[in-house]
This record gives sequence, structure tokens and C-alpha cells, in this order.
Amino acid sequence: MKKILKVENIQKYYGNKDNITKAIDGISFDVEEGEFIGIMGASGSGKTTLLNCISTIDTVSSGHIYLENQDITEIKEENIAKFRRENLGFIFQDFNLLDTLTIEENIALILTINKVAEKEIDKKILEISKKLGIEDILNKYPYQVSGGQKQRCASARAIVNNPKIILADEPTGSLDSKSARQLLEIMEEMNKKMKATILMVTHDPLSASYCDKILFLKDGKIFNKIEKGEKQRKDFYNEILDVLALLGGDARDVR
Amino acid sequence: MLGKLSFRNAKRQAKDYCIYFLTVIISVALMFSFNSIAVSKDISELASWMKYFSKSITGISIIIILVMAWLINYTMRFMLEKRSKEFGTYEILGIEKKSISKMFTLENILIGGVAFIFGIVVGTFLYQIFTSIIMNLFEQAYKIEIEFNLKAVGITAIYFFGIFLLVLLNCRRKIKKTKVYDLLYADKKNENNIIKNSKGNIAIFIVSVVLLIAALYINHKEFADANNMKGLNILISIIMLILGIYLFYISISSFIVKRYIENKSRKYKKDNMFLYRNLTSKINTMSLSMGTIAVMFTIILIGGNVALLMNNLLNNEIEMGYPFEIMVSTVDGDFSEYKEYIEKNTKVTDMYEYRLYCIKSIGISKALEGTAFNSGSMDGIEYVMSLTDYNKLREILGYEKVDLQNNEIIINCMKTAKEVFTEYIKDNNEIEMLGTKVKILAFYIALIFIMATATLLAIQQLSDSEKYKYRYELLKKLGMDELQMNRTIFKQLFFYFAIPMLVPIIVSIPAIISVSQIFKVAVTLQEIWRNIAIILGMLILVYGIYFIATDVQFDRNINGSR
Repeated sequence: MKKILKVENIQKYYGNKDNITKAIDGISFDVEEGEFIGIMGASGSGKTTLLNCISTIDTVSSGHIYLENQDITEIKEENIAKFRRENLGFIFQDFNLLDTLTIEENIALILTINKVAEKEIDKKILEISKKLGIEDILNKYPYQVSGGQKQRCASARAIVNNPKIILADEPTGSLDSKSARQLLEIMEEMNKKMKATILMVTHDPLSASYCDKILFLKDGKIFNKIEKGEKQRKDFYNEILDVLALLGGDARDVR
Repeated sequence: MLGKLSFRNAKRQAKDYCIYFLTVIISVALMFSFNSIAVSKDISELASWMKYFSKSITGISIIIILVMAWLINYTMRFMLEKRSKEFGTYEILGIEKKSISKMFTLENILIGGVAFIFGIVVGTFLYQIFTSIIMNLFEQAYKIEIEFNLKAVGITAIYFFGIFLLVLLNCRRKIKKTKVYDLLYADKKNENNIIKNSKGNIAIFIVSVVLLIAALYINHKEFADANNMKGLNILISIIMLILGIYLFYISISSFIVKRYIENKSRKYKKDNMFLYRNLTSKINTMSLSMGTIAVMFTIILIGGNVALLMNNLLNNEIEMGYPFEIMVSTVDGDFSEYKEYIEKNTKVTDMYEYRLYCIKSIGISKALEGTAFNSGSMDGIEYVMSLTDYNKLREILGYEKVDLQNNEIIINCMKTAKEVFTEYIKDNNEIEMLGTKVKILAFYIALIFIMATATLLAIQQLSDSEKYKYRYELLKKLGMDELQMNRTIFKQLFFYFAIPMLVPIIVSIPAIISVSQIFKVAVTLQEIWRNIAIILGMLILVYGIYFIATDVQFDRNINGSR
């Protein structure tokens, strides 16, 4: 399998000389093409910082991050936006849809930013919305649909441009358990059928159980790493709970 | 408890909503400075006709009041929308609507009161600046001193609190009427177009065009015959004009929706979709504010031009009739008494005595027969003077000397009478004209007024920039680069600034030409066009500067978070 993302010994410090907070303290891992990888950890473990560094929203203090051989820590300021719109797809916890646009237009937005030909846009939206089961609500506004539907629209926006990797930040965070399951199944489908590489940050064991591989962070370091392999999702779920118990301390609020 | 809460809110609001605060301060300051000028004795005593200036300032301050009313209404509604979620939460927590609207009222009265005091202070300075400019024009020494005009404060207070209370009552009504759900989700909702189907829209568009044309036609007819002008008809035409402008902007925004939202290939081109959705999500507010701005500009263009026309008239008359500081005429030719008095009381730099001969008509004055210039006093006689005298007078006035060959005469007449004479005399006679000075005062009034309106427009746009921040930030997250984003912002602002200019320019030019019919005797067509060019040029220049400043600040507001 081809390595799509390579994180090499990155560190992220906050604060000054006398009072340093190590949000990330030497993390290295690889993500292969078509993988669905989860990052877990308690609040303050550095998982959001890690995601921000990969998504070029934040910069690392040291170390390198390669996306398909391109070192994203070296990209010049003026090229970051272009890199982001061409290579990355985002799913945010609070959806981040524009209330002024219909569901359809929200998906179209990323395509217009990428200057996709106008005729292509319609086709692509129709195709993706059928796969994600939102073709009936395309003409509605975000405030007229449910949270689950909003997040599916956000997922459609994340994948419609065929990004190299989709970054999801607590995507089920503001959904009820039924909508959360629905969304995770869709993400699984995006991963399996549409061959999307997904990196998801979560502290919810149920969400994490949909992943192929999970990294556990503690105090800015990788604490543990488990793989689903051929296991059933239920067994994998229990395994996750065991690791979380081992994490101890802060991990109690994970349960 | 409630009082405490509302005091704390108002304090926090003064920080959070400093744009709102600033708007009210500027509104009050402008209103106050205009009122001060209107009641100022210093200014009205400058010259006898300055009384008219003070009166016209009062007229302008009425327009300013309208702008203020609209702006205060706009910002208070804007704040209400921003805080509706908070009010919704209060309601969910079990606070009664009555108490909430009471709290809102208390807060606003507190903010309004403080802003009023600040506004008066700022307005005092503004007044000093305006006054020193005017005094300078009249070459009067003016010492800047803080003078507190109670009458102006009183008038401003009545205007301001009148507007403020009306707007506040309207907001209270809105709070009471709105359901909790709508309060909680107010910021997410988009406005629906007032006109649903396109047929209705086309009908409204046609009605608006018909109204505009009819208004211009009535206006033209009324001013064509100045003696039988009916005030009522003019009032009707003004109302038709305003209504026509509003309807035009309502229907045109619906056209925009049709053109850009329903046509997919156009919609998906570049940043069209984002832009037009930004505009159409507030379609009703947008068409109303565009209509209001357009009405303002129409007033500036027409009013400014009328002011310039008046000044043309005034200047032409003063200069033509009395080009010298002191003019004394006698029948017997003895000036000694006058000379003595003048030399005693004034410093005379130059003095010249000349004779005017009364001769039997050589037929020149016949040219005026049957025209508006004929006053009947020239019957059968004409006044002539020697070329030496004439050249000496020209020298004093700073004009070049003129030469005359045998059998030539110079006719000294009003500029506008030139045509009459040239048509009458088809010989080789030379005709010299007197020039006119620039009409500075009218220029200043129009400038101040344009600046007032443009300031308010800029504030309105900048208060919106806060609202747009979230949208533009998402674009940034999705990977739109800064240059492109600034281009989108530019387009959005350009749209907002440029569209309201359209109708006023088209409508005001024929209106000005109609109105100028009554000035035909004293003002030339060339002067009328020059007036239009001056006012329009000034409007576009000042407006353009404000547009660029707003654009720069808007970019900063959006990108500043990094």
C-alpha cells in the first residue's frame, strides 16, 4: 500500500522559555492510502493540535509532515490556501455550513473555489448526494434540516473534490447516537467504496470502533496503537475500552 | 436585579457593539453641528443673504434627520438580530417577554444617553470646523472658542430622542411578537423575497419605471411655466419619484435572484454563488436600504444642483451689478462729499471717476424687446461711456484692455443676454463678457452632505463585516486564498456602493434640467451642465474614497483574526 501521510517526529510547544507546554511531544506515524485512522485521547492530550498541524491551520515547532512526498511544514504562506483546497477535505464538529446557501450550494462551494467547470459541478453534486442519501434535501437551507443531515452534507462537501485525505474533527460530537451511527456508516462507505483516506479525531469509543487503526495519545505522545484487522466491530469496541481503561487518569472522562 | 443585568449588558454592549455606539455618536454630532450652524448668529449676520444659507441648512438637516432615522433603525435592528439568541435563552429560562423588552429598552436608553452626550461634544468640534471654514470664505477672523448653544442642543435632543424612541418602540413590538423559536434561530434564517412570482415582479418593475417617467414629466411641465406652478403637483411628483425608486430597487433585486440563482451555469461561475447568496439572504433589507441610499443621492444631486443654480444666480447678479466694493453715482458730477466720507472711513486702494453719457437710442436696446431682459427702463435711450474710462475700469477689475477700431462698439451685458444680442447684431461688433467666480459655498454644503451620507453607508457596511466574518472564515478554511477573498469582498462592496448610484444619475439629470427652466434668464445651459458635472464629480470622488476606505477596513476586519 502507498503511504499517503507521513508524520515524522513532530513537536509543538506553547508558551515561553520558563513555562513550556508540550502539546505534541514527538509523534511519528504513517497513514496508508485508503485507511480509516482514528486518533483518541482525553481533552488536552494533543489530538486537536495534531489535527490542526496536519490541516495546515497550525504550524509545528519541529519535525515534518509529508502528504504524498510533499512536506507541508515547508509550504509557503501564500500557497497554503491552494494546497488546502486541492488536497484536503474537512468535516467539522459544528458542521460549518453557510446558512445563506442551500445544501446543494454548500457542497458546490468547494467546487467553485477549486474552479471546477460549471457543468461538472451539477453532475458531481448529484452523484455524491445520492451516495450519501441527501438528494431529497438539496434545495433546503441548513436550518431546515436535521443535525445528521447537516453532517452528511458536510461529508459530501469534504469528499466531492476527491481530496487526498479527509480530516474529521469530532464529527459525531453534536449528533445523537442514531444520527452518529448513520454518519459513521456513511464515512465507512466513503472509506471502503469510494476509497477515501480518512483521519478522524474523536473521544467517542463507538465512533473510533469504525476505524481500521487507532492511535491513543496521552500528554502529547503516542500511548498505544491498535488495529482492527479481521475483528468484529463489537470486539474492537471492547478492545478500545480496555486501552482507555489502561490510559487511566484523565481517560475516565472518555468513558 | 433586572436593572443590574441590563446595566451590565449595556456596559458590555458598549464594548462589543462599539460600531453601534459610534454610529449614534456620529449621527448626533452631525445633527448637532448642522443645527448649530442653522441657529448661529455669527453666521447669519455675515451677510444679508446668509439668512437664506441658514435656512437652507435647516432644510438639509431635515434630510440628515431622515438619514439618521434610517441608520439608527438599521443598527438597532442589527443589534436586535445579534442578540436575539440571548433573548430567546432568557425566555427559555422563564423570564417574561415584558421584562426582556423592558431590559432592552433600559439598555438602549442608557447607551443612547451616553452616546448623545459624546455626540454633542464631537458635534461642538465639528461645528467649530464648519464655522471657521465659512468665516474663512468671508475673510472674517474667527477665534475658535467652545460655545455651547443651548437652542441647538435642545433641537438636537428633540430630533434624536424622537427618532430613538420611535425605533425603540418598533423593536419592542418586534420582541413581543416574535416566537421563542424564531428568536433562537433568527441569525440562521434567510429573508424571502416579498414578491414571489416573476410576473408580479415584472409588473412592479414596469410600474416603477412608469412612476419615474411620470414624475419627471409632471416636474418638467410644472417648471416650464414658472408663473402657474402648483406646489401640490410638485409634491405629488416627488412622492412618485421616491416610490418609483423604491419599487425599482425591490424589483431589480428579484431580477438578480432570478438571473444568478436559478441559472446554474452562471451561479457556479467563480464566486458568483457566494456573493449573490450573501446579498439575497437579506434581500428585503437590501432592496430597502438600496432604495433609501438611492433616494438620498437623488436628493443630493437635485438639491446640490439647485443650490449651485441659486448661487450662480446670486453671484451673477452681484458681480454683474456691483463688481466694485463701493460705487457712487451722482447726477451733477460732484463727488467731493462722498470722497471725503469714504477716505475717512475706509482704506481705498484705487478710485476712479467716470462719466456715463445718456444718448438717444442707436437701436441696440431694441434687441431686448419681447425678451425676459426687457425692463422697460431703456425706452428710447442708451447709456454709453468712453473707451478710456471702460479700459480703466477693466484694469481695476483685473481684466485686459480692449481695443476698438472705427465704427465698433462694445456691448456690456449679462452673460445670458449674449445670444439675444448676437442674434440681433449680425455686424462685426465685439461683445465682451464678465466672468464668474466659483461658487464655493454651495460646493461646501454638498460636500458635507455627501460625506455625511457616505460615512453612514461605510458604517453600515462595516457593521455588516462582522456578520460576514464567519462566512469568509469558512472560505479560508476550505482553501480560498487571501487575494481571491479580497477580490470577492471588493465585488460585494462594489455592488452595494454602485447599484444605488444608477437610478439617481439617470433620474436627476432630466429633473435638474426641468428645474433650471426657471433660472433660464440668469443662468446659461453651459453653466447648468457644468453644475451637474461638478456635483456628480464630487459625489463620485468622495464616494469613491469612502468606498476604497470601506473596502480596506472590511478586508482588515475579515483577515485580522490571524
